[in-house]
Amino acid sequence: MSYVLTCPNCGPREVTDFGFGGEVTTRPSGHPSPRELNTYIYFRRNVAGPQREWWVHRSGCGAWFLAERDTRTNEVKWTALPEDAPGAATPDPVSSGEAR
Amino acid sequence: MSLDFLSPRPTAQAPARSPMVPGAARAGAVTEIRDGWEVIASFGDPAGEAAACRESVGFADVSPLPKVEVFARPGGEFVAGTATRVGEGWRCPVRPERTLLLGEAVTGAAGITGVRTCDLTGTLAALVVAGPAARETFARFCALDLREAVLPVGGFRPGSVARTPGFLLRDDRDRFLVLFGAAFSEYVWEVVADAAARLGGRPVGADSLPATKTEAARA
Amino acid sequence: MTDSARLAPTAGQRIDRSRPLRFSFDGDQVDGFDGDTIVSALYASGRRTFSRSFKYHRRRGELCGCGQCANSLFTVDGHPGVRGCGEPLREGMEVTHQNAWPSLEFDAMRATDLVGGPFTPPGFYYKTFIRPRKLWPVYEKVLRRAAGLGRLVSRQEEREWRTEYRRRHCDVLVVGGGVAGLSAALRAAELGADVVLCDEDSEPGGRLLIEGRHEEARDLAARCREAGVEILSGAPALGFFDELVPVWQGDTLHQVRAARHVAATGSLEQPLIFPDNDLPGVMLATGALRLAALHGVRPGQRCVVAGVDDRALEAALALHRLGVTVSAVADLREGADGEAQAELEAAGIELIRGAMPVRAAGRKALEGVSLACVDAGGRALGTPRKLACDVLAVSGPPAPTSSLLLQSGVRARFEESAGTFLPGEAPPSIEPAGAVAGHERAELARLSGSVAGAAAALSLGFGGQTGRKLMEEERASLGAATETPNRAKPPALATDGASGKAFVDLDEDVTVKDVRHAAAEGYDSIELSKRYTTVTMGPSQGRFSQLAAVRALSEATGADLGEVGMTTARPPWTTVPMGVLAGRPFEPARRSAIHDRHREAGASIRWAGDWRRAYDYGDVEGEVMAVHEAAGLIDVSTLGKFIVRGPDAGELLDRLYPNRMSTLKPGRVRYGVLTSEAGRITDDGTVGCLDEETFYVTTTSSGAGAVEQWFSWWMASWPELDVDLTDVTQGLSAVNLAGPGSREILAGLTEADVSAEAFAYLDAREMEVAGVGCLALRIGFVGELGYELHCPAPQAAALWDAIAAGGARPFGLEPQRILRLQKMHILVGQDTDSEMTPYGANLDFAVKLDKEQDFIGRWALERQAEEAPPQALVGFTCEDGAVPTEGAAVIDAAGKVLGQVTSSRRAPKLGRTIGLAMVDPSLAEEGARITISDAGARLSAAVTRKPFYDPDGELLRS
Repeated sequence: MSYVLTCPNCGPREVTDFGFGGEVTTRPSGHPSPRELNTYIYFRRNVAGPQREWWVHRSGCGAWFLAERDTRTNEVKWTALPEDAPGAATPDPVSSGEAR
Repeated sequence: MSLDFLSPRPTAQAPARSPMVPGAARAGAVTEIRDGWEVIASFGDPAGEAAACRESVGFADVSPLPKVEVFARPGGEFVAGTATRVGEGWRCPVRPERTLLLGEAVTGAAGITGVRTCDLTGTLAALVVAGPAARETFARFCALDLREAVLPVGGFRPGSVARTPGFLLRDDRDRFLVLFGAAFSEYVWEVVADAAARLGGRPVGADSLPATKTEAARA
Repeated sequence: MTDSARLAPTAGQRIDRSRPLRFSFDGDQVDGFDGDTIVSALYASGRRTFSRSFKYHRRRGELCGCGQCANSLFTVDGHPGVRGCGEPLREGMEVTHQNAWPSLEFDAMRATDLVGGPFTPPGFYYKTFIRPRKLWPVYEKVLRRAAGLGRLVSRQEEREWRTEYRRRHCDVLVVGGGVAGLSAALRAAELGADVVLCDEDSEPGGRLLIEGRHEEARDLAARCREAGVEILSGAPALGFFDELVPVWQGDTLHQVRAARHVAATGSLEQPLIFPDNDLPGVMLATGALRLAALHGVRPGQRCVVAGVDDRALEAALALHRLGVTVSAVADLREGADGEAQAELEAAGIELIRGAMPVRAAGRKALEGVSLACVDAGGRALGTPRKLACDVLAVSGPPAPTSSLLLQSGVRARFEESAGTFLPGEAPPSIEPAGAVAGHERAELARLSGSVAGAAAALSLGFGGQTGRKLMEEERASLGAATETPNRAKPPALATDGASGKAFVDLDEDVTVKDVRHAAAEGYDSIELSKRYTTVTMGPSQGRFSQLAAVRALSEATGADLGEVGMTTARPPWTTVPMGVLAGRPFEPARRSAIHDRHREAGASIRWAGDWRRAYDYGDVEGEVMAVHEAAGLIDVSTLGKFIVRGPDAGELLDRLYPNRMSTLKPGRVRYGVLTSEAGRITDDGTVGCLDEETFYVTTTSSGAGAVEQWFSWWMASWPELDVDLTDVTQGLSAVNLAGPGSREILAGLTEADVSAEAFAYLDAREMEVAGVGCLALRIGFVGELGYELHCPAPQAAALWDAIAAGGARPFGLEPQRILRLQKMHILVGQDTDSEMTPYGANLDFAVKLDKEQDFIGRWALERQAEEAPPQALVGFTCEDGAVPTEGAAVIDAAGKVLGQVTSSRRAPKLGRTIGLAMVDPSLAEEGARITISDAGARLSAAVTRKPFYDPDGELLRS
């Protein structure tokens, strides 16, 4: 695996320059039920397809940013600092049945 | 309480020492105290050292270089990848809210109020790698694209150097300044020395480095 | 070397006859010239057998002449698996054969071939040696020896080899230095692109070099260099990894990252399949030509050429021009006529139309060939014609070298007219050019390369309108000139009907019969056939067997070639030594600014995470006692150190730590534990308040990087907070001065008031110590009165020297571990695991659930507070003096595991063994007895809940 990822601050770099923060989750607000809490902590959608995820430019500027990456092809559609990220992606058909 | 304890304030009783000195000493470095800092003046062969910078590659410790991080909320322009010359120093954009000042740029910023600053002089070690084979030397341990068309003079790149986080600034035609965590000094020294040696290069004292254009112009 | 072994010198030859080289082969001295390969020199010395085959140990000779086949794998200077037909000769090389015993000329394992019968079919080993299972290790030893591909030297220093990576960024990477590749590189560079060209051969030029057009090749290469192209010779591209192409050249692995790629990888001439087609002397026509044209070696006294298209005819003429006697050419086509046929006639070379070899004959090497016309099934029609010859140069339909393209995602499709698989649509960043794209003839390949090079450069914005116009014109003429080659389709097997092995894969000794046999057993898809017969799985990775295997399977199953398809081509393209992939050894090590002092003091230095640390100074117990009785000094510069600053700094810390940090008064320090959202301990350390907006955070040594990322991640998630984080771990050194005498030593080095009243436990003070500006923290990990002094790293050695001169004895990591264990101060990661909660680790005091705001881990901690922790951390004492191994199990009477020992040491001050263990909460009672099972021994221990030393912290606060 040696694809190139574009840091929103620094530009394109080898993927080994970065740390992976996993798929974007939403921290529950208020007081979550045990089920909600466990879902937040332990469950991931783990989609085969486009996924919004966190990355950190560990070896560079140190910034955390968001990326949309296709987990099947490693094609990265966009990367952006959290405040510049495109609106929430529409849930993709593969994983929209998550609330089983 | 202040953050003064971050800044080396060398005294005669307690001179500051570049983190490169212990490693370089084993390679035959001759050190001197200058402005309170113990620095590597030469490796005992100034002519050979200058020749290396002219003909292949020479690398020198410039860790005492003042370095300050400035925090400012977004609002000012952020031009990624390009440093601005301030006298003989540089203003290097790291992130929209974070700028690294080097050398004379630090002196210029001393009076600034209303923004948070943090002295990184001791945190970051610094090497200058100079000479026609400088770029090839980096190619042995750094994946950054340093070609002329991509990184003109003033080009600045945060990125991995010898597998540690670093910052690279092309401060002249055949000259690169590289900054990295001070605790990695001995390790980075070894990597650079090994790569340079295979290209006919060597460590040099700071005195043997060719002057940058601005320094030359001033002289 | 006999006179007739070498041909007369010609301009195209690569050898320099004025520079003889001597090397050894299996102990014999052999002579060659500079410019020879190992094989060309051995060939010139009269040798014809270069290896024994993998399974049957049959003799194998020269095949490709270009380092692609596995027929001449040698061990060279201890390195096994070197391809002799591509490896340039060097003076003094020590070359030995592989895979034959006792010698190449007499190989005992040849019996497998002669006995034949039960050894022949695929699957034989699977079926036979599986029973009884117990004997497999014995079988394996014998089989490995029989089928070995060389032996590694056993001594480490003989294996060591310095290699390195070289990163090269460029606009266009051209893979392949034939006429297409050179033309592509030249055009792209002329248009302004930064171009790298890599080629496997020792000089660029490809087929031009052996077709008598070496001047053209050398001129093209020179023009490339002038235009700025970096040409890498002897440098195969190993694969295509997300557009990164590793190119292996000697000791260097070039990691080429290009914006565009031109695949000008050419094609490989394929063998023809007939009985005994592996006899030394049967070789590819290009192989024979390379021997003659490049190395001036006469392939044989009498040569017969057999082929399916004009390439064979041209090869025969080229050999003839070089002075090689060609007695006949068999052309499988019935009625092809053109210039070449006329030239053959003029040269007196007999052309046998419609015929191909149906058998090779000879004992140790080729002595003759039977030629015949064959039916569609490959059966000889009529009586074959026997010709005496010692070289049979065969030229089957070429197979495009499409491996690199396939790795980039291109699919191969069968092209009926070309009789081969051609790559389909390529992604936009890759331009196929030359023979791999179906443009075989030199003139077409040149045009094809130009177009590809221009397209690559234009797509990057080079060249402008003129460049585009030129490319369009060239593309049009390329289209107009492209023609379907007039080529006969050879059968899967041509035979005279008598017995004899006909090999589809020389590497793996797979015959046509094997493929048929496998198909009959049900392995009738190419992927299954490959796995069952191992066809295409040898060192040459199917270069010369892929098409033959597909053809054999197609014939066996009745499916057409397109339906059978090709197997996947995986990197690396060339067998590459592991050492090349290892590259430069990088071992990023961090050292404190005081490290040289430890070294000078003779400390034993060990890894602690990525730090090199002083483990002890040679006297662990003495160092411990010095801290108890006088004063000790330890370098703790490895601690993670952070400045957290801004109006919301306190708020950020309150959200990240389970206790309150915003309430800290300037000049005060508090312990803090960090947990995950699941309420599990991730790190711990101290937080010091410098002013309302500035906090100084320390973390564990190994956790610093993770904490930095953890903090900055949440900061990115909470943009509403105005706060900054700076990692100053490497900019500050820290030393811990500890022991009853520490106050006096400190007082002697500073003007500041360090009395117990003015500088109390958990205070932070700025002070100058020995002329060095420090932040002094009164905290005590080791349990005695102590001071942690944080100062600029560049001045730390001066501070260290002054304190040591003041009477503090340096102590290392190991004494510190004993001291902290006495205090039951946990080491995160040592005494905690990924499931340990603050409640289990007795850190309840560091969790404030009555805090008003939300914080990381709050919800999980609230639930944990209501129930017993799954595991509790307790102290224990082993009365009998044994020191249990860390990790040893705590068990109950029935042997059920109830926990594990996390730390254990002998404490010299206490005179006994103490430790920490994670145990079932039912055992977490003062005085409870536990049993530790350690490597078979049962150790009895008593549980302690309070620290072993100074349980109420009186010394610490004194």
